Amino acid sequence: MRKILVVDDEHDICDFVRNFFQERGYSVLTALTGEDAIEIAKKEKPELILLDIKMKGMDGIAALKHIKEANRLQKVIMITALEDQGKMDEASRLGACDYITKPLMLDYLEHAVEKNLKVSL
Amino acid sequence: MTANKKAPSWDKLHDWFVEKLAAHDNGVQSQGQGAEGMSHPDFTEPPPPKADYQIFLENASRTMIRFKKPEHLIKMIVKTIDEQLKVTHTAVLLYREEKRSYILIDSKGSEGLKIPIGFVRLPVDNPLISIFSEKQTYLISETGILRYEDLINALRNRDILEKQPDLYDKLLLLKRQMDLVKASLCVPCYFKRDLLGILILGEKVSGDAFTREEMGFFVTLANDAAMAIANAQLIENLHQKVEEIKGLYLREHRIFIHTAIALAAAIDARDQYTHGHTERVTNYCLALAKELEGLPEIANYKNFRETLQIAALLHDIGKIGIPDHILNKHSRLTPEEYEEIKKHSTIGATILNPIKELSDVAREVRHHQECYDGSGYPDGLKGSGIPLIARIIAVADAFDAMTTNRSYRKGKSAEEAVQELKRCSGTQFDSVIVSAFLLAYEKGNILTNGKQQYLFNGNNEAKDEF
Repeated sequence: MRKILVVDDEHDICDFVRNFFQERGYSVLTALTGEDAIEIAKKEKPELILLDIKMKGMDGIAALKHIKEANRLQKVIMITALEDQGKMDEASRLGACDYITKPLMLDYLEHAVEKNLKVSL
Repeated sequence: MTANKKAPSWDKLHDWFVEKLAAHDNGVQSQGQGAEGMSHPDFTEPPPPKADYQIFLENASRTMIRFKKPEHLIKMIVKTIDEQLKVTHTAVLLYREEKRSYILIDSKGSEGLKIPIGFVRLPVDNPLISIFSEKQTYLISETGILRYEDLINALRNRDILEKQPDLYDKLLLLKRQMDLVKASLCVPCYFKRDLLGILILGEKVSGDAFTREEMGFFVTLANDAAMAIANAQLIENLHQKVEEIKGLYLREHRIFIHTAIALAAAIDARDQYTHGHTERVTNYCLALAKELEGLPEIANYKNFRETLQIAALLHDIGKIGIPDHILNKHSRLTPEEYEEIKKHSTIGATILNPIKELSDVAREVRHHQECYDGSGYPDGLKGSGIPLIARIIAVADAFDAMTTNRSYRKGKSAEEAVQELKRCSGTQFDSVIVSAFLLAYEKGNILTNGKQQYLFNGNNEAKDEF
């Protein structure tokens, strides 16, 4: 089973996205903070991480930096509001493989995860 | 508690409802305070039977249509459906022009099924939207609702598969979209022919199908929500229009005043001995007019202060028609030259007359040299026959003429000039106006050093009127 990690400081989003991908046959881990995300990424080695940029405390960019330092090949898709274009550029410099802007289309969310996992085959 | 047995009154229901809404908005639960019956004991009981909540909701939503924020009505609808109908999840998407999409603005539901608010959008070309906006009639029942069950039945229909492959493909795409949001029912919110939003419902937790009655009810709610949204948008548009027009008016008004100021400056520039005269006279007039507040005659003007300001600015505009050698003469004027100078008030009125908006001002300019006793010019008007503003300008004009130096004489002191005004009060000048001038003078509002209070100082002259 393909393992992914969902990182968002909103409970509702973590729950919904977990449920969404579990129903599509994924094993889904969730983290509500950047710190937890770094830990879980190290321990569980998910194939892909969905990482929200705007979070309380450590934000997605800082978390991305740590995750990438620990594992340069870790695939990370950033999730962001449209207004964060500057942060998006930073994220892609830091090695994020894709990004999705909120509010998002669910079929695109599914497609983005599938597409980025396929590349690794 | 007997209150629990009492049939709830609609007023109370509505109050309770609004309170709930407010609590909901603040993220506070209005229950669980441990003080049963503290506010509205009627509703500490389990939910009323279905018919009751329907009537209740319908009434409440009618009331809520008048609310400014349609979001409140939508939150209420979502909350009530969630609490009373026991569905897995509920969501409302509203059209947002700037994103050309329907955005999820409120939702409820069990863990993992609740679609996070603001997380999801459906673009206008999404099959789940286009089936409603394009008014394709297949699948949509007479209630206007799209049911997942009907969609599945259509996909099982061999006729569609074999004879209408395009439709079949469309239905497959639609099924995928309904699966993504786990929709069992989609209820459109129309205003006129516009699809403003859609209400998405999951399954009933019990697994039962929705009844016809319930679906009819959803349609009513969706229509009410659409009405509330449309009303709010209408009001919003109206506000924008009003602001726009106000802005245009302000701008035009500013240009107008500044044109008058520019003209006044042109006159001043030409008349080297009375430099700053127009500006000072205008300042005196406005300071003096403050002391006249409440004078019944002011009501005869549509916009007294503005007319006064413009008339004062332009009172000497007729000097444009006076030859330089007379206007700038170093010695005393001969009687003939004086006759020539006297023409400036009629010339001024003639210049301004063709401007329809300035017809009031033209009249004041024409008469600003009249005397209260009828000895002035050009028409020898007397007393209240002289327009009020002209009488005001006459006093301010005389005071400035007396206090400024001319090539052939030194100006009087302000105190001497005031004494002169007093002496001529009731003869050359209207005594009411002179009294007002004295009041303003005593208050220190008559500034002979020409402090630029009303002129050439940016925008305040236009703003004052609003």
